Amino acid sequence: MSRFFRGGDDSSSESSSDEEELYTTSEEEEEQEEQEESSEEEEEEEESSDDEAGPEKKGLSRFLVDQASSESEESDVEGATKVKSAKDKRFDELEATITAIQNGQKINDWGSIANEFDKLNRQVVKLQDGGKAPKSYIKCIAELEDFMNETQAKQKVTPKKMNATMARGFNAVKQRIKKNNKDYQSQIDAFRKDTDAFMESDEEEAPAPKPTKIKFKEVFTQEEPAEEDKKGFAIVDKRGKANPFSPESIQKHLRAIVESRGKKNTDRAEQIKVMEELNKVAETPYLKIRVLQTLVSARFDLGSGTTTSMPLEHWKAAEKELAALLTLLETHKDHVVVEGAEEWEDDDKVPVLGPDDKYIKVPGSVVSYIERLDDELTRSLQSIDPHTSEYIDRLTDEGALYNIILQGLLYYETIRKDASLEVPQESLNRIIQRRLDHVYFKPAQVVKILEENSWKQASSGVDSAITPRALAGDANRLIHTLCSYLFNNSEGIIRARAMLCQIYFLALHDEYYKARDMMLTSHLQENIANFDIATQILYNRTLVQVGLCAFRTGLVYDAQNTLQDICGSGRQKELLAQGVMMQRYSQVTPEQERLEKQRQLPFHMHINLELLECVYLTCSMLLEIPLLAQIGSSPDIKKRVISKTYRRMLEYHERQIFTGPPENTRDHVMQASKALAAGEWKKATQFIHSIKIWELMPSAEEIKAMLAKQIQEEGLRTYLFTYAPFYDTLSIDTLSTMFELDSTKVAAVVSKMISHEELAAALDQVTNTVIFRKGVELSRLQSLALALSDKASALIETNERTLEVRTQGSANAFSRKDGRQGGQRGGGQRGGRGGARTGGNAQRQAGGTQFTGGALGAAVRG
Amino acid sequence: MASAPTANGGSNVAEYDLMLKLVQHLDRHMIFPLLEFNAGQLVDEESGDVKDEAKAREITQAKYALLKKTNMTDYVANLYCELEGLKEPPAEFADKKQKVFSQLQKLEQETSKIIELLERDDVVTMEMVNALYDLGNLQYSCGNYGDASEMLYRFRVLSTDNDKVAYATWGRLACEILTMNWESAMEELQKVRETIDSRLSQNPLAQLEHRTALIHWVLFPLFNFEKAREPILELFFNAGYINTIQANCPWILRYLAVAVITNRGRAKNPGIHQKQMKDIVRIVKQEAYEYQDPVTRFVHALCIDFDFEEAQRQLVLAEEVLRSDFFLLAHADDFVDSARHLIFESYCKIHARISLKDLSARLGLNADAAEKWIVNLIRDTRLDAKIDYKEGTVVMNHPPSSVYQQVIEKTKGGFFRTQVLSAAVAK
Repeated sequence: MSRFFRGGDDSSSESSSDEEELYTTSEEEEEQEEQEESSEEEEEEEESSDDEAGPEKKGLSRFLVDQASSESEESDVEGATKVKSAKDKRFDELEATITAIQNGQKINDWGSIANEFDKLNRQVVKLQDGGKAPKSYIKCIAELEDFMNETQAKQKVTPKKMNATMARGFNAVKQRIKKNNKDYQSQIDAFRKDTDAFMESDEEEAPAPKPTKIKFKEVFTQEEPAEEDKKGFAIVDKRGKANPFSPESIQKHLRAIVESRGKKNTDRAEQIKVMEELNKVAETPYLKIRVLQTLVSARFDLGSGTTTSMPLEHWKAAEKELAALLTLLETHKDHVVVEGAEEWEDDDKVPVLGPDDKYIKVPGSVVSYIERLDDELTRSLQSIDPHTSEYIDRLTDEGALYNIILQGLLYYETIRKDASLEVPQESLNRIIQRRLDHVYFKPAQVVKILEENSWKQASSGVDSAITPRALAGDANRLIHTLCSYLFNNSEGIIRARAMLCQIYFLALHDEYYKARDMMLTSHLQENIANFDIATQILYNRTLVQVGLCAFRTGLVYDAQNTLQDICGSGRQKELLAQGVMMQRYSQVTPEQERLEKQRQLPFHMHINLELLECVYLTCSMLLEIPLLAQIGSSPDIKKRVISKTYRRMLEYHERQIFTGPPENTRDHVMQASKALAAGEWKKATQFIHSIKIWELMPSAEEIKAMLAKQIQEEGLRTYLFTYAPFYDTLSIDTLSTMFELDSTKVAAVVSKMISHEELAAALDQVTNTVIFRKGVELSRLQSLALALSDKASALIETNERTLEVRTQGSANAFSRKDGRQGGQRGGGQRGGRGGARTGGNAQRQAGGTQFTGGALGAAVRG
Repeated sequence: MASAPTANGGSNVAEYDLMLKLVQHLDRHMIFPLLEFNAGQLVDEESGDVKDEAKAREITQAKYALLKKTNMTDYVANLYCELEGLKEPPAEFADKKQKVFSQLQKLEQETSKIIELLERDDVVTMEMVNALYDLGNLQYSCGNYGDASEMLYRFRVLSTDNDKVAYATWGRLACEILTMNWESAMEELQKVRETIDSRLSQNPLAQLEHRTALIHWVLFPLFNFEKAREPILELFFNAGYINTIQANCPWILRYLAVAVITNRGRAKNPGIHQKQMKDIVRIVKQEAYEYQDPVTRFVHALCIDFDFEEAQRQLVLAEEVLRSDFFLLAHADDFVDSARHLIFESYCKIHARISLKDLSARLGLNADAAEKWIVNLIRDTRLDAKIDYKEGTVVMNHPPSSVYQQVIEKTKGGFFRTQVLSAAVAK
């Protein structure tokens, strides 16, 4: 019922409708009571072990509740002589709902609690006098919160899961409580501090529930200073040079700070100062751990905006504190920070090691802190201009971060050893993943230095079981160990990422075949679209790196093929997350743009885009120019295009009327292409060699030599394709001097072309010449006839395939029959060819050498 | 590429010995013939002397280690004596022998009943059936392959336990191979293949391992049984198996290449042979970075680089390798002959005129023999070639395929296929 509607009720026909409501609620209550009773009976056997004081307590409390309700009824009766105000009635309803919630708690029925809780909130809105909620309500929600926390804790311990409805209810309540209780935080605090006093005041207030606005304000302001008081008190004292923070008060301070977290108007800087002071006075390791934890979280809160990064000095301080925390944990082995440990509620005492306990457990998650620290560094690197010295300064912090990651890893390894702590595998995986993220894109030497430095930091006694100290010098094995650990112990995204990181690293270190084989066996190209965007970006990066690796190895064809998807799309920047593309035709909402910006990689991880383009274009040139020459002579051969991007650029270049000397990489490649097409391979080599960017490649000279060789060969091929129609014979020796190739090499190239039926020619061994066959040039009609027959058979094939797809099972029979009969009639020729074709296709799918599909743009754009 | 001089051919051949790689995937009992073969190689043919004492001893040691786990007690005891230089085998062997015998007897008793029952068509229990399996296993382990095979056959008929049936099938395959009963080995092979394809499809790793093992096992029938050749080649070129070879055991490429090349004249369907040849070339090219030996290098040089001289060199090396290979020994001559054909074929395809002298050098024959060889070849393969005796050349004639022919070829089946299609649509 909307509030508006309710308002109408209030003024006009309040009594009847209210009565109605009262009636229904009481009915509901009864129903619930019944339900509860029946379910209680059922539960009693089950739960007797769960709750020690089980039935007795239940009975008693139920009795109490009844009493309470009857009391209120009584008061109602009493009040019946007077005019029963709408407010009173509402109070009754409220009470009833609260009782229902309490009942729900007793039997752990989260489903009904969730319902009642909603109802309660709706009711309480009407009862609020300018924001002040009734005391009983506060009591109820406070208790509910406690109960929720307890259940949550239990849930972690017991392996038994809640059933679905319960879990749903539980989660709903959890979320709502968190949101809701924030609004009443001060009151709840008051309640928690002194339950009796609070409830007493409730007694006083309940009968006269008309605190004026002014009064409320008073209360509110009173309460605010009460909290502030402590702080104010402390600060004054600090000015007075007294020792304001005693170790005993630390926990209270911390609690106050934690509770104010996430609220508006909290002065975080102030709190941080307070905690820094606290850190100085904290004596026992427990307190130190607590203070450090809170302090680090508070620092992270400073940069909680989505765009702004954490201030530098705070990052550094947080890093130091985290390091201190980890060292502390390392030295005091009886203290552990684990997720899901129970909160220590007693502020006055410090937990001590009981006789049965091995550890003092402090709730918290080291891995989350480390992850956050890492993210903050990335974020700040994103926002700094990479060409300034500031960026480099900032980058040096990575070393410190890496130390922390290593320390964290060691910490998790030690606590993992003890099975009783139940540290989830996932935390360890997360931290290893972080470590991997910092090394996979770096050359081996750099990794080595990084590793050695961070091992120096770690105390000499410890060693890691997963990545022993001895591995530090060997980056290859380090990466391999990290990756295979993740591969064996994780699944889903982390596993895929580990694999990609390893492939990336292998490709970076020129292990093309290994990288390629891993890429193929991973089968990632088939399901990469199902992963999140960050992983898709990593996939694209890996793909590009494999392509570059193929190029360095001299495998032009493979390089072009691999790079095609990324570079051919014209959206390299976006796909590699190295810059935002200008969107010309599509509108991007600010939200999308912001997300896009968040995804950007920091500059030091970038793959050089110009180099990438250069490699791609050069490969395309080496493949396309001979192809163009081949199809140039007979324009009706099926037009095969290897790289559309390259073709477009070439066309554009050819349209230019005046071509000046080449300026950028693209110009160089285009002019080289022209020269190559004209058979001037030397000029082409010159153009390619004068591209400056090759210097960025390791062993640039070798690559240039490799390119020169490729250009010679492709030049020869192009020459033969282009000029074959004009010759009868060509001496191999001439060709060999022309292209400065060995004559056996020329013979091999020509043989290959003849064997693949690219060239209608034959070799004459006696005179050492190439004899071109005549009469192979087709007239226009003939070539058209060929094209037509090609198309006709393609059409038949498509039809057959369509039918096969349509009719699935039965089509198999059809095609088999066809194959057999076709074999009888059409002779072996066609059957053989058809067989070869399908075999080839299956092969490629099963284990061919090609990658298909980068994770493409639509997904990346989100 | 290694153009190693043939002087140190011995060490070269050893380098290409696949023994170590093969034995990992073979059964104990199957390794034995390989070891025997190795030992046999060391014995001088004329005098019967053992050339290399240390090596021979090593092999005996290996044999002993190999068979120790089996139940062929007598033989093992002999080996032990040979190794230690004893006259009498120690008592433990006698003990073991006794034990094996008693076990054998026990199992035989247990199973005698079931065999009786079998003859009378009666109800049998699970334990009895399993006893058959155990007996088969033990028989195999003792080296009574024929009996073992029989037992396992009976077991398989009766049992419903899928896992055990699969093991029994493998066991039978081993038995048939070891008794050189190729016909039934082929049947078993087919069964094993079906099991791998169907039952292990959910477990890629196990599938890979089983396929690897199967590929190694079938090397025995492949090179020893003429009729097995086609189906086994077909098996190897199956997508799943060729991937297994590429991923797990690229050294099989040698055997595959030899099998395909020597299969030249025998294949019923030349189309299939051509396709297989194409496939093998492609795979050799793909795997060149991972595995190379003279045979694959020969293929690489001939069909990818078109470097005939290199191919010729590799052929010489390959012949040596073949002669020292257990499986390929019998096929060495065949291979060399087929390889020559292959060289000549591709040579003719590319060249229009070849000097006879040069060609004879290339084929490793003298001028007269080469001429005869070429004439035979031209007659056999109906190449369009003539020998010009005066010039001392072979002249090839490559008629360009006529456009009309091409169009006719392409449109040949069109009408029929369309008819089938329309009939299928109408259905």
